[in-house]
Amino acid sequence: MKRLPILLFCAALPNLVWAQQLKLNLDQLAAKASEHVDLNLNSSTLQFAAKFLDADDPDEAQIKKLITGLEGIYVRHFSFKGVNSWTQADLDAIRAQLRPPEWTRIVGVKSEEDGENDEVYLRTIGNKMAGVAIVAAETKALTVVQIAGPIDLDALAALGGHMGVPKLKIPETKPKKDM
Amino acid sequence: MDWLEEELRRALAREEPPEGFERRVRQAVARRGFPARRWLAAAAVVIMAVGAGTGYREYRGRVAKEQVKLAIRMAAVSANHIQNHVRGVIR
Repeated sequence: MKRLPILLFCAALPNLVWAQQLKLNLDQLAAKASEHVDLNLNSSTLQFAAKFLDADDPDEAQIKKLITGLEGIYVRHFSFKGVNSWTQADLDAIRAQLRPPEWTRIVGVKSEEDGENDEVYLRTIGNKMAGVAIVAAETKALTVVQIAGPIDLDALAALGGHMGVPKLKIPETKPKKDM
Repeated sequence: MDWLEEELRRALAREEPPEGFERRVRQAVARRGFPARRWLAAAAVVIMAVGAGTGYREYRGRVAKEQVKLAIRMAAVSANHIQNHVRGVIR
């Protein structure tokens, strides 16, 4: 009987690990997409990759700093040739997993004019930040990023203008802000 | 016991090797080659295996690094895009 709690813990362990990763069932979009990126990087892959990041390279040093302590990075990105290739149901399936009390939506931007729908969710356990989920839906693209573990969002956003990627300009249109 | 002693003496009596025995032994040793060569071959195999293993690890590391860079780049672009949207609204 003494072993029962240990056995129960072992049985629940896969579910606890799975709970950290969102179920991003977006395979149906892959068939429609002109470009599709699917990245699943767990803790061991991140640690392994960190050994190969050059500390003398400013960008790589920044990435190394960002991924330290992370448990995983999961990315799904779809680019489409046509508009409205993704549906609200696709987003709702993701949103359904990003619910309180574990997840809190910290940013929600919806632009009817651009057809954009961007959301940032924060995962907290106790008082500690445990992860971030970014859902960026545009008319011709859909990106879902989940970062498991504590991450500096400002530092991450600052990298958006580095690594050969031009910094995005502030849109001219006035989007409607949800939050 | 005389017969037994006689048998033993006969069996253990010194005999000259047949003709060409020494030559055949030397030839057999020469055919086998120098033992160090075997060690060198074994060492070469070990070095090649270790080198291939290190090379593969290096390759996997480079792939993992590029994947991490791509993942961070995509996350950074999305975060930067949303941040700019929010700033645009606040202005």
